[in-house]
Amino acid sequence: MIMRTGQQLLLPANPLFIWSSLVAALLLNMLPLGRVPWMPDFLALVLVFWNVHQPLRVGIGVAFMFGLGMDVHQSSLLGQHALSYTALSFSAAVIHRRLLWFTVPSQAVQVLPLFVVAHAVELLIRMVAGGIFPGWVILLAPLLESILWPVVSIVLLVPQRRPPDPDQNRPL
Amino acid sequence: MPLGTLDRSSPPFFKQGPSVSSKLLFFSALALFLMVADTRFRITQPVRSALSTALYPVQWLAMQPVRAVQGSGEYFTSLSQANSSSEEANKKLALQSLRAGQVEQLSQENNRLRKLLGLREQLATSVMAAEVLYDAADPYTRKIIIDKGLLQKVELGSPVLDELGVLGQVTRVHPLVSEVTLVIDRDLSIPVLNVRTGARSVAYGDPSGSSTHPGGGLELRFMGSNSDVLQGDLLTTSGVDGVYPPGLPVAKISRIERRAESAFAKIYCTPQALVGGARHVMVVTPVASQIPPRPETAVAVPTVKKSKSK
Repeated sequence: MIMRTGQQLLLPANPLFIWSSLVAALLLNMLPLGRVPWMPDFLALVLVFWNVHQPLRVGIGVAFMFGLGMDVHQSSLLGQHALSYTALSFSAAVIHRRLLWFTVPSQAVQVLPLFVVAHAVELLIRMVAGGIFPGWVILLAPLLESILWPVVSIVLLVPQRRPPDPDQNRPL
Repeated sequence: MPLGTLDRSSPPFFKQGPSVSSKLLFFSALALFLMVADTRFRITQPVRSALSTALYPVQWLAMQPVRAVQGSGEYFTSLSQANSSSEEANKKLALQSLRAGQVEQLSQENNRLRKLLGLREQLATSVMAAEVLYDAADPYTRKIIIDKGLLQKVELGSPVLDELGVLGQVTRVHPLVSEVTLVIDRDLSIPVLNVRTGARSVAYGDPSGSSTHPGGGLELRFMGSNSDVLQGDLLTTSGVDGVYPPGLPVAKISRIERRAESAFAKIYCTPQALVGGARHVMVVTPVASQIPPRPETAVAVPTVKKSKSK
């Protein structure tokens, strides 16, 4: 396997951790904070992360199902988030081989267009379906998601960065 | 190091599954189908209900931290504030008790007069209290979710009120929760009655906020620019729709723009209900079930002239 020089060798990802992180992101999205158009979509962020890092485990189907869940929760058009997450997951699958060759801050720049496209898909669908324009603050959402990318890449890789053989000096 | 310690495995050679682009096509088509089914055919309600019931535990869990913060905030409000609010409530009660006494007498009188005149009895409405769970986060609509559903026998289309006025209408009923579209949503309209003049009209939701009502308001459309409306007029439900009981306050006219170039005036209204922060609401059964069915109108049949071809 060809790797970027200086990249750390990681432990295998725990499927339980992947799924619980996705559910935790869903929980974060479901916090009843009211109608905030600029709120970053944590679920989209975590979905892209696992699509890039574990493309064999988390794919388009998973993204679609979580999208349906978001649609029902927000009582928006059924299929709106599903379509946007499908597009997101597809673009993540397209760039996943290239993306990991970059450092984490430049990865954040590279994933920005993905989030912009995902939000644009939602906006387009709702405008066509006769929704209310939520205001230009919605442009902040993809930007915030991209800013959160380094945070997510650090937090979600922590379990895989543990040493393979824990001992008394390295208990974790 | 034992085998399988590293997150590096060779990709499967033969068991690749469907390609990414075919998956994209399949799921996009499915999503588009669902959207069309949702907006045009309205056949996705079972899917929604099932998913919403499955998601309910997660939603409940997500609500707890916000509830706790709200609860602790209320707990720590100072004693003086509590005193002043209870004093205010007492004043209100004293004011209203007078009216309440009169209402009893007036309704008796009304009943007697109605019997004398042979009019129909006034419609009795049954009311169910509900709690607002959360504002639907969808920024493209104005909806809230309440904690009563099909199991509590909430009916589709029921009006929802808070203590100040009409809040909206139930537009989707799930087993455990239901969805209320607020009066400021673009898709909702209410037949209203101007209390001062007695003129009936229809108020449409106007979600775009303005200076007088930043959270969105209502708009009276198709009122002539010389129509008798004044700033501060109260609009109540007119009761001609068979959904809302008559006489509930809906909105107050906040701004009137009479334009020279248009035959209609632009009339903005402020909703009376707390559309931004209602906590406890009442779900009223629609009055349509008590109203006698509409008389059938005779179908106009074109009279065919007999041809004189004999």
